[in-house]
Amino acid sequence: MSRRRRIRAEATAAWHSFLRRRTAVFFTFFFPVLLVVIFGALVRTQPTGGGLFAEPPAYYIPGYLATVVLFTPLSRVGSEIARHRDDNRFEKLATTPLGRGEWLIAHTLVNVAIIGLASLLILGLVVALTGAVVPFTARLALLVPFVVCAVVLFCGFGAILGRLSSTQDGVIAASNTIAFPLLFLSDTFVPLELLPGWFAPLVELSPLTYFARGVRTLTYEPAITDPYGTELAVVAVLAVAFFVAGAYAIPRTD
Amino acid sequence: MNEAVVAAGVSKRYGETVALAGVDLSVADGEVFGLIGPNGAGKTTLVRALTGTTPVDGEITVHGDAPTAVDADRIGLLPQSFAPPARLTARELIDYYGGLYETARSTEEVLAAVGLTDAADSWYETLSGGQQRRVCVGIALVNDPDLLFLDEPTTGIDPAGRQSLWSLLEELADGGTTIVLTSHSMTEIQRLADRVGLLQDGQLVAVGTPPELIEAHGGDSRLVIDTDQPAAAVDALRDADFDATANHTSVVVTAVSPVEIGDAVAVLSEADIDYGSLTWAEPSLEDVYLQLTGEQFAGGKPAGATTEPAASTPTAEPQEGTQ
Repeated sequence: MSRRRRIRAEATAAWHSFLRRRTAVFFTFFFPVLLVVIFGALVRTQPTGGGLFAEPPAYYIPGYLATVVLFTPLSRVGSEIARHRDDNRFEKLATTPLGRGEWLIAHTLVNVAIIGLASLLILGLVVALTGAVVPFTARLALLVPFVVCAVVLFCGFGAILGRLSSTQDGVIAASNTIAFPLLFLSDTFVPLELLPGWFAPLVELSPLTYFARGVRTLTYEPAITDPYGTELAVVAVLAVAFFVAGAYAIPRTD
Repeated sequence: MNEAVVAAGVSKRYGETVALAGVDLSVADGEVFGLIGPNGAGKTTLVRALTGTTPVDGEITVHGDAPTAVDADRIGLLPQSFAPPARLTARELIDYYGGLYETARSTEEVLAAVGLTDAADSWYETLSGGQQRRVCVGIALVNDPDLLFLDEPTTGIDPAGRQSLWSLLEELADGGTTIVLTSHSMTEIQRLADRVGLLQDGQLVAVGTPPELIEAHGGDSRLVIDTDQPAAAVDALRDADFDATANHTSVVVTAVSPVEIGDAVAVLSEADIDYGSLTWAEPSLEDVYLQLTGEQFAGGKPAGATTEPAASTPTAEPQEGTQ
């Protein structure tokens, strides 16, 4: 009961703080909209069927979702840690019963809520703007564990980045440096066939690859019968590992 | 009386820098203990050591337990330069931090205690500096701690806000709360602290009640005379058995009691020496600080010459050309 009370207090404060930073709210939701509009509606394929975005629109749904699942937690949790450290909030929290794991759970819950809303927005936009056909089957409900696990994973990663970066600017720079290559080289927007053969094993090392492939089996008709268990298991195991590492990385004072 | 805090041989290094070098300290239950010292002396590190937020060498017990093992519900901390989330209201902030504890005082009670009932629904970032610090103190009080650590709680607050916070802390102390307070304001420490410890270069170089420290290290009372003829004034005063030394535009006469001020004025008048003002000051905690740290004011005046005057300080009105 006490633990729930503490997590609720931390999450409520974090949620209100987020909602009142209007610029942050705007860009959190505007960024995926922009992405869908540019990549989904403006960029055209070549008449011969080649070039970027040559696959059917639904193929790219995992990529659009990966964008918010990856960027938002990395930058938000990392920045929040930098902000907490700048304002000596961790020193204060270290003298309260709130544990570091509880702090990360609270902020992860806020990110799950934000990214859940952004994901719904993306799905709606992709269908509305690109004409993507999403098979509405019971499997689609498995998007929830995929998104939740991926958010937990990248919240843990963000906590590690926040610990390693000394400033908020440093967190943003580091998260962009990591997230951009990860986004485009994780079987999201760029099919493996377009990458050199020697690069394929590296794609397997990205956690986002398993998220993208798993989500594709839920949202892309040609892959709808593919198994997703391995992908979900990998994302879930990595989520636990990154969460534990992230909670451990959250600073106290020194 | 039970000891709320006991520290023995506490040491801490940051690389080559020694932050604390074998500090021994005890704070009794219900006591207000003031920590003073120059920037970098180790005050904040010592507070962090006592609250268990930084690992140190040595032994520390808080209510008989290691700082990291003590019941968090009994401890309140206002860290140095602490700032809570800026876009929460004062009420939300008290709610938030109260929610982190097993039991907490009611939010309205805390807001009333720190005098913020009327500003309770304003965002933290829109409050004045004094109001913000009162929110921070309210956050430190929300779990009704019986041991409160306040690291420079009045930094950046205007005089009215400072007075208001002092009154609040005095009420807490009267109610039996043990307080460990760091500050650069000697007035604050002299007003609030039962005992004072002076840290320098990581060592606790003096501990005692303010009167004890002043008695031991504060030196004599001083009469400072602003004059364009310091050399002549010193000669005249020394001829009359006053202990006088000259500065550029002033003379400092030490060990002068209030009743002797008239005699000194008479000496100046007889010697036909013009003077601008006379300022008499008792030795204060600031003199102790300056004496023990070896620091001086930027103008190079001797310790005590321009210190914050003690409560009983009389100041003579400027007089020109007495003859």
